[in-house]
Amino acid sequence: MIRSTLTHHAPERLADATALLAEHGAAAAVLGGGTVLLPAMVRGERTHRHVVDLRRLELVFVQAEAGWAEIGAMTTYAQVLASGELTGSAALLRRAAAGITGGAQLRNQGTVAGSAAYANPASDMPGCLVAAGAVLRLHGPDGPREVPAAEFFRGAFTTALRPAEMVVTVRVPLRPARIGYYKLKLSESSWPIATAAVTVEVSADGVTSAAVTLGAVAAQPITIDVAEHLSAQGALRDEVGFDEFVRSRVDEPWDDELAPASYRREVAGVVARRALKQTEDGEQR
Amino acid sequence: MTEIVAPRVGRTQVAEEVPAPLFEQVRRKDGDLVLTGRGGYLDDIVLPDTLHAAVLRSPHPHATIRGIDTSAARARPGVRLVLTGREARDAVGIIPHFFDPALVGGRTADFRCLAVDTVVYEGEPVAAVVAGTVHAAQAALDAVVVDYEPLPFVLDADAALEPDAPTLFDGWDDNVLIRLPFAEGDAGAVLAAAEHVLDGEIRIGRYQTAPLETRGYLASWGPDDRLTFYASTQNPHPLRSHLAEILDVPESSVRVVATRLGGGFGHKFHGYPEESLVCLLARLVGAPVKWVESREECMLVGAREFVHRFAVAYDGDGRILALRDRILGNVGALGASGGWGMTFVAGMAFPGPYRIKDYDVESVAVVTHKPPWNGARGYGKESAALAIERIVDLVAAELALDPAVVRRRNFIPPEEFPYWTAAKHLDSGRYTAALDHVLDLAGYHELRREQARERAAGRLVGVGIGFELTPEGGDFSGALLRGFDTSTVRMDPTGRATVLTGVTSPGTGNETGIAQLVAAELGISPHDVSVVQGDTDLCPYGYGNFSSRSLTVGGAAAVLAARDVRDTLARAAAVLLETPPENLVFTGGRVHALDAPERALRMRDLAGAVFRRTIALPGLDDAQLESTRTYTPSNVHNIPDEQGRWSPYPSFPYSAHVTVVEIDPDTGVVTLRGYSGVHDCGTIVNPVLVESQFLGAIAMGIGGALWEELPYGADGRLRARTFKQYLMPRAPDLPWINTGHQVTPSPFALLGMKGSGESGTAGAVASVANAVNDALAPLGVRVHEMPLSAPRVLSAIREARR
Repeated sequence: MIRSTLTHHAPERLADATALLAEHGAAAAVLGGGTVLLPAMVRGERTHRHVVDLRRLELVFVQAEAGWAEIGAMTTYAQVLASGELTGSAALLRRAAAGITGGAQLRNQGTVAGSAAYANPASDMPGCLVAAGAVLRLHGPDGPREVPAAEFFRGAFTTALRPAEMVVTVRVPLRPARIGYYKLKLSESSWPIATAAVTVEVSADGVTSAAVTLGAVAAQPITIDVAEHLSAQGALRDEVGFDEFVRSRVDEPWDDELAPASYRREVAGVVARRALKQTEDGEQR
Repeated sequence: MTEIVAPRVGRTQVAEEVPAPLFEQVRRKDGDLVLTGRGGYLDDIVLPDTLHAAVLRSPHPHATIRGIDTSAARARPGVRLVLTGREARDAVGIIPHFFDPALVGGRTADFRCLAVDTVVYEGEPVAAVVAGTVHAAQAALDAVVVDYEPLPFVLDADAALEPDAPTLFDGWDDNVLIRLPFAEGDAGAVLAAAEHVLDGEIRIGRYQTAPLETRGYLASWGPDDRLTFYASTQNPHPLRSHLAEILDVPESSVRVVATRLGGGFGHKFHGYPEESLVCLLARLVGAPVKWVESREECMLVGAREFVHRFAVAYDGDGRILALRDRILGNVGALGASGGWGMTFVAGMAFPGPYRIKDYDVESVAVVTHKPPWNGARGYGKESAALAIERIVDLVAAELALDPAVVRRRNFIPPEEFPYWTAAKHLDSGRYTAALDHVLDLAGYHELRREQARERAAGRLVGVGIGFELTPEGGDFSGALLRGFDTSTVRMDPTGRATVLTGVTSPGTGNETGIAQLVAAELGISPHDVSVVQGDTDLCPYGYGNFSSRSLTVGGAAAVLAARDVRDTLARAAAVLLETPPENLVFTGGRVHALDAPERALRMRDLAGAVFRRTIALPGLDDAQLESTRTYTPSNVHNIPDEQGRWSPYPSFPYSAHVTVVEIDPDTGVVTLRGYSGVHDCGTIVNPVLVESQFLGAIAMGIGGALWEELPYGADGRLRARTFKQYLMPRAPDLPWINTGHQVTPSPFALLGMKGSGESGTAGAVASVANAVNDALAPLGVRVHEMPLSAPRVLSAIREARR
């Protein structure tokens, strides 16, 4: 039960939503799937006198066009999972959506864009969006703008969103790539402790690019170019050396009540390796 | 439902033949209501004009309250009352302890429903708000301004024992609540002389039981100044007694109604500040007041944080010669609730199922600035079992013996029962048979062969045995926490029976078992027996639910009362059927002559005749189809014998467990590959209820062994406040659990019953810990810090590789 009285707004136009957010400032919050916001308000951790609900903005869609997919801000994990449009590197989002903790109830409610805006270090989406090369389309008082995911996540629970700005869609390139996604968690109900999202692009001559994006191991995703650690066929050359290389790229590991920073750094290598392993079957999606 | 494996060995030492419908899978009463969400719990009770309370809690682990400004909160919309500790102090008394440590030579302290001058733990109630809605009450909390002066605090038990540690309570010169010795023989001498000695330390983190339904209370004062108190509690009558004392009203002016519980586990023992607080708030505002604990508030309640430091002497064959253990229990800031006693049980349970003549165990309860404990299923037995079972495995490992072999060499043999230890008089047991049964169920020898193959391939696979002795039905004189209980059985003119009993159900379904027991005595169907529990205006005074006692004592009392009713019925039937009473058989809802089954009466006709024709028909002269009886367990020994031995627990079920795990060597994540458990609680009344309790207990033990923890930050505040931070096992985390049951009745208990409910928690903790350490054995490392979380396990693996 939310302890404070609030006004629930459900604008039908984006400009109205932005205007409401601008008018009420920090007193307002954007309501997407609500899986984070509402429990936090029930617990009294967050108080907002105004909630701007995106449900009437017609933002439930996954559309593909010109080599990009665009995912509306109110699109749930379940809808992402069911979408046939997310191919190539964008299939990473489907892989992550399939393993969202909380089961069907949460997958039918939580959204990709909401998770991005929340920017919880210990979650799937920030790392996946960065790995997929996603671009977040934002809308604010100054109109629309686009921010690449790699620049969007600024730190723990911190994004490039300016006051009164909101995520409208998430655009993901449909690049042909081998993908891998591995998530380490302590038990079924645990937040992710470390994730690795991998894209490997290959041409007739072999691997042309390979990147691992670590999620949950630091305040923001860490992308590592690993092409030189792979053979032309995409197999890892030296596992021990690779682990050390990955670990060396984690400067300030994330620490929370489930796992200390030292553990996150420790497992970063193997998590990356396991995601990479999934790409070795040679299948490009 | 898992398959119930039939007892492999037949019943032995049965004092009386077990009649139908016992040992039958009778469907649970109200099971359909619970499953379909229509059962109704505390928060479903709505009285007209109910107001809602919210509690302001200290954010500091230790602080002086310099002042509280409630003016802004009082001005909030919908707020009817804001109450501070100073105001409450003048209105109500101190809270009697669930079990006062002073009764057994410990220190004590006084607790009130709201802190007055000082707070000694994070979450201690300092003020309360009553408003028209829960939201309004909670929102007004934000407007209460408390001026705190933070004080030094201590969170760790060892640190709390340092000479310069901050103390908690006036008049205490250190933080020791009580030292509890349990010893026989001369362990020191044996340890000093023994050829083989090993020592070690095991630490268990703070965790709790996290019932799905949290606590809640609803207080309503009538125009006659009578209080009705609906409570999600396990002990309605003792709570009534204590409330009457705190509120200074006649006990007859208080009615406590214990509502249907969505889990008790000890979390709902009484002694909490919110109980009397809600009553006081309702009295002050002149309207019913309800308060329901949030999950975050629930997680403040602690339990089970222990350290064991042990030494063991053994011979070359693995026989344990002597054992010493120094146990520290970090009981938090004490409180009046029922938690600290777990430190008693953690020591008392030694030396488990083993014949060890020389042991020296001391359990020390230490207070710190963490929130108080309350009971938690296992109640210290899980702590003892973990230490004892790890010790046995360590001995086995040192001698390169199979841990099953070492157990067999140390078990108390069946012929030595009853068997005395310092604080237990063990009733009966076939420990080797239970172990062999579970080894068979698990395919133990094949598991070991498979493990050898997998180890050779570099995999970290472990097989762990855990054996649990589970003292049950405890009797604690001096407090309203007793081993006996009382039930009434009455028959109505339609031949149906109603049981009113002083025991309650924490949601386990013991009412179905009680109905079966009464039905068996009266020869009627359990469906024709209703059971009323938890309402102090209706039920005889009793002690409610703790220590797996409800069926063994409340059910036994009902059996005695049902026999009285049957005797009356038999005398009447003898007249009506013209046959001697001893020639009558009660079965199938009828009574008939043994030698002439056609001479029969339906129970409704017989009961109807008693009600309608007594004293009007010659020979029919007794109409009392109601009896109230108290059952007192015969194996309680409150008065020490000449050797100082005593036994507050009468009933000693036990269980044997085998866990199979695999550890991911790169991440430390433990995966459960298999689980088997064999349980013996003596005579089984309802196998489904026993089975479901056993499975639930195992799941709880696994959760505690691997994931559940309430960690504290350097700021003295709890870090796990939701189920995303406090990791409960979910179905995919658990393996298939194979179960078996063995029946070794207690010679001391009516029908040979032993308690069932807690059994399994301790064996699961121990067998998982042994399995994980077995998996790590090839690396030469051990993890003795619970829970065995992936970071801890990986840290041990890394240590091995350095």
